[in-house]
Amino acid sequence: MQEFDYLRPRNVAELKENLSQPGARILAGGTDIIPQLRRGKSAPKILVDTSGIRSLRFIEDQGDRVVIGAMTTHQEIAESQLVSDLNPALRIAAESVGSTQTRCRGTLGGNIANASPAADTLPPLLVYEASVLIQNLSGEREVPLESLVIGPGQTALEEGEFIHSISFRPLTGRWGSHFIKVGKRKGMAISVVNAAATVVLDKKGSVSKARVALGAVGPVVIRCRETESSLCGKVPDRKVFEKAGEQAREEVRPITDIRSTEEYRLHAAGVIVARVLEAAAEQARGRMG
Amino acid sequence: MAHHMISLLVNGQKEKLLVPSNLTLLHVLRDMLGLTGTKNGCEAGECGACTVLLDGEPVNSCMVLAPELDGREVITVEGLAKDGQLTPLQEAFAELSAVQCGYCTPGMLMSATALLRRKPHPTQQDVQEALVGNLCRCTGYQRIIDAVMVASRTGGAE
Repeated sequence: MQEFDYLRPRNVAELKENLSQPGARILAGGTDIIPQLRRGKSAPKILVDTSGIRSLRFIEDQGDRVVIGAMTTHQEIAESQLVSDLNPALRIAAESVGSTQTRCRGTLGGNIANASPAADTLPPLLVYEASVLIQNLSGEREVPLESLVIGPGQTALEEGEFIHSISFRPLTGRWGSHFIKVGKRKGMAISVVNAAATVVLDKKGSVSKARVALGAVGPVVIRCRETESSLCGKVPDRKVFEKAGEQAREEVRPITDIRSTEEYRLHAAGVIVARVLEAAAEQARGRMG
Repeated sequence: MAHHMISLLVNGQKEKLLVPSNLTLLHVLRDMLGLTGTKNGCEAGECGACTVLLDGEPVNSCMVLAPELDGREVITVEGLAKDGQLTPLQEAFAELSAVQCGYCTPGMLMSATALLRRKPHPTQQDVQEALVGNLCRCTGYQRIIDAVMVASRTGGAE
């Protein structure tokens, strides 16, 4: 592994100082950056280890929003009752990341900053229209998650900035949310394609709001807005969702790579959109308004 | 190259070491402390052969940097048996021949130990899920899963 210096801030104030140095990069759970360092794909001068900062590791219900600290691990999210109650899609996604060993190290902030098109936690956060609190030495800003991830491995984070926390508004009324992933096998697999959806039903049982996001079928995780609006007012049944799956295929741009082909991804995307919507609608139906 | 002085507990024993930034826990264990029970498989976080417990959680030691270890506690396969007495889990592995070449065994034992500590009476599916990050290329997994199930009835991880 190449050489670098290592700093371990004890709190956010020290982190801001450390990160303002040129060539500094965050080491969160290390599950992506350590392999990158080994392959020479990343060459930071300084690694700033954020694992010692307790105040970045929390899951809180703040009334109108659920807030998750950037250093919260996938395992903690997968085991959180709060997440399970308020964003079941995110719980399922966190549980499907890698292995126990990976989940005990990998963090939510790391998953976002790594900006993989196949990141499992991104679709469930996008369908909840999550926002990200970003800080640096001179202040902070809050941006929609959708505008933070701008390309494969690329974010709009500026030098010296770091992700403090991620937040989303829980759904109300008759709602459901779900996540489905297709990989080579059930464990340890990087998604060939993944999808999350939320469905909110009105009193008559028609769709009043739907959100759909697909991963690994474009340079970034994609919100399928045409699909979402086509569902509004529809009485949900299998046919409607299958049609939504077909619509979603029009909104993605998959490629062929080592994990799968363009054709397979396109086909599977439509299938899992239909399934993920059906599961979310089923959940919504079971919920009292 | 920056070096860091770290203090950590390894299998209950205090260690004070001077480590370079880019050394991993795997090499601290194998090369600096001579604890070669922890195996080097893929060095990419894929195979689980190097699994140890870090502050009680199973992690791939090839994915942890040495300076991160300051103030932490590590348990390796050498730290499972106490005074020559194997844990019920280790006994079950031996009893059921859940070992063929043995290379994946230390990692399997550490992942299964973490599971049994968290969930003393797991279902077979829990066991399969807990071992998803540990590859074995020869036993076919069934005996390993059986051994963990047996251990959950005979005393678990301790």
